[in-house]
Amino acid sequence: MFKDIKQIKTTRRTVLGAALGLGVAAGFGGLSRAFAADDIAVGAIYDLTGGLNIYGIQQSRAMHLAVDAINAKGGLLGRKLNVIESDSQSELPKFTQYANTLILRNKIQVLFAGLTSSAREAMRPIVREKKVPYFYSALYEGGACDKQTFITGASASQQMSVLIEWAIKKYGPKIYIMAPDYNFGTISAHWVETYAKQLGGEVLGSDFLPLTVTDYAPTIQKIQAAKPNFVVTLPVGANQTGFLEQFAAAGLKKQMGIVSTNYGSGNQQVVVSPDAGEGIVASQEYFMWIEGAGNDAFKALWKAKYGLDEPIISEAASTWNAVNLWAIAVEKAGSTENDKVIAALESGLTFEGPNGLVTLQPKSHHLKQNIYIVQGNRDHGFDVIKTYESVAPSFEDEKCDLIANPATAEAFTP
Amino acid sequence: MEIDYLLVVLLSSLTSASVLIIATLGLAVIFGLMGVVNLAHGEFIMFGAYTALVVTRSGVPFSIAVIVAALVTALFGAIVERVIIRRLYGRLLDTLLATWGLSLVLYQSAVLIFGSVTPGIGMPQSNVRIGDYTISSYMLFLLGVAIVLVLALYWLLTKTGYGIVARAAIQDSETASAIGIESGRINTMTFALGSGLAGFAGAILLPAVPATPGMGFAFVIKAFLTVVVAGPVTLTGTVLAGGLLGSAANIVASFWTTVAGNIVFFMLTMGLLRLYPNGITARWNRKL
Repeated sequence: MFKDIKQIKTTRRTVLGAALGLGVAAGFGGLSRAFAADDIAVGAIYDLTGGLNIYGIQQSRAMHLAVDAINAKGGLLGRKLNVIESDSQSELPKFTQYANTLILRNKIQVLFAGLTSSAREAMRPIVREKKVPYFYSALYEGGACDKQTFITGASASQQMSVLIEWAIKKYGPKIYIMAPDYNFGTISAHWVETYAKQLGGEVLGSDFLPLTVTDYAPTIQKIQAAKPNFVVTLPVGANQTGFLEQFAAAGLKKQMGIVSTNYGSGNQQVVVSPDAGEGIVASQEYFMWIEGAGNDAFKALWKAKYGLDEPIISEAASTWNAVNLWAIAVEKAGSTENDKVIAALESGLTFEGPNGLVTLQPKSHHLKQNIYIVQGNRDHGFDVIKTYESVAPSFEDEKCDLIANPATAEAFTP
Repeated sequence: MEIDYLLVVLLSSLTSASVLIIATLGLAVIFGLMGVVNLAHGEFIMFGAYTALVVTRSGVPFSIAVIVAALVTALFGAIVERVIIRRLYGRLLDTLLATWGLSLVLYQSAVLIFGSVTPGIGMPQSNVRIGDYTISSYMLFLLGVAIVLVLALYWLLTKTGYGIVARAAIQDSETASAIGIESGRINTMTFALGSGLAGFAGAILLPAVPATPGMGFAFVIKAFLTVVVAGPVTLTGTVLAGGLLGSAANIVASFWTTVAGNIVFFMLTMGLLRLYPNGITARWNRKL
């Protein structure tokens, strides 16, 4: 009994000591951070671990690559960029937690963060309230509209408009849709229907699939029953890659085309076998295989630092564009003050990125950029078959005018 | 509705049930028979898939790679039993925690070793035509695999010396020890058998379900529900529950939507457990 009490005492004292020590250490840490005040603090939150790190690691790498390149040229306004990065671990609550920490404690001047729409939506109110420009660099369903939020990935309507036009011309008007069962899938399916109607096509049917499904026999039968000219497939997550294998093995690729706006964005073409991957058509704002001086330079930089064992995904190019567009805006504003930087960002900036010339639309905060149509080959890669130049984010441009209505804070849905 | 569509749906509902049963048998042995709640079951499947992938890519034919994967996963299971599970028999919550931890470790190890994307091996591009429809030969082959696997397991557990001793060691390990059965060693073997079956599942499904670190998650929930619905007569129950749930979900998905198929799977599970709280085989007078 006595012995127990003594033990508890010791433990308490130890804990107290440890806590004090930690407090002191944290205090000093805080001080040293405060004294390096001349740097421009750049915040980043990406999924470096967990299920989403297939995207997050590359986004983070591209961000570091861009910041290093800027620092190598002397930084911005004569000040160095100092990256403070947090790992959101593929967990939604971490984004709000770290966004607040980075803004309040580390006094970041800009935030690069997030892959999923839910992560972006969680951070959007925080950056609006604290007035920190925020860049979201992933392809997504579209429609986000907020004064402090800038989007460098392609929106669903932007990719889908050219893809459906191309596919109807190539394969014929009858369409079947296979999409994941959440907002990205349902909104994308809506765009397929809209563009099909405009272009004289017809959607024969659709199947929305939960992300844990691994057996696609029912979907494949329904596709065979509907007899479409082509299938729009939007595989998300590792399991849905299996759909492409089962689709090919059932012999459907000989009977119809298969197109996608997100195939390749998670390097799915590496996972699928050559038989299943060959001939799948995809449309995105960037593929590693596109030609151009901008892409060659970007790839050379990437290769020198990270190697090219794993193909570079579109989210990496979008992150690179995001950092560079912000840097151009800071130089133009001559300051990191929020109002001035936002005004500069809304001045019609252009940048020659890995994927060609991009234009930041002043009203919608989305990019006008090239959309590439590519076709899978037998070497786990793509061949570029058509480039649509400077495709506007038409839905966002139509709905979202942040210059006339700066107070807008919405995620518009069609 | 045309007759050929009905026939294809019937066949594919059987293949769906087969996939579910193949993915569940390992858990039927470890959880159903031994009573160990192995939350790492999905990661054992993933372990088998990656083993088969590595072995195939080193040039070994796929059929041999599947057997190697089953054996390697069984060996890994034996080690896990010796090191972790053995200390936790009869401690349900501790087992839950330990196997969940193990699943996290295995998942992250796969990410670190293989990265997030690894080239798959793909399915044989052959298919069977039924009227206007085609169905992948490999999926039909899985139907045969499931039947052979169930029969072999039934034979192993009821007709062989090992099977009888194994069930004795699980039912009453003290009495079994008293009559000279080495319960500890036998339990290691049974756990290894269950692990090997999970590894086999991952390997044989690899062409249709590419190996990824998170693949286990897709299987583990439905596998657990199937074994729980199955009840005490583990093997027959698993085949029955897997056949029922798997094919019902498939048929609903074929005529309606995949989401509806999933809903039917879970509603049916709830309904069956409401009617048979101890599983559908609770009042059966069979051994396995």
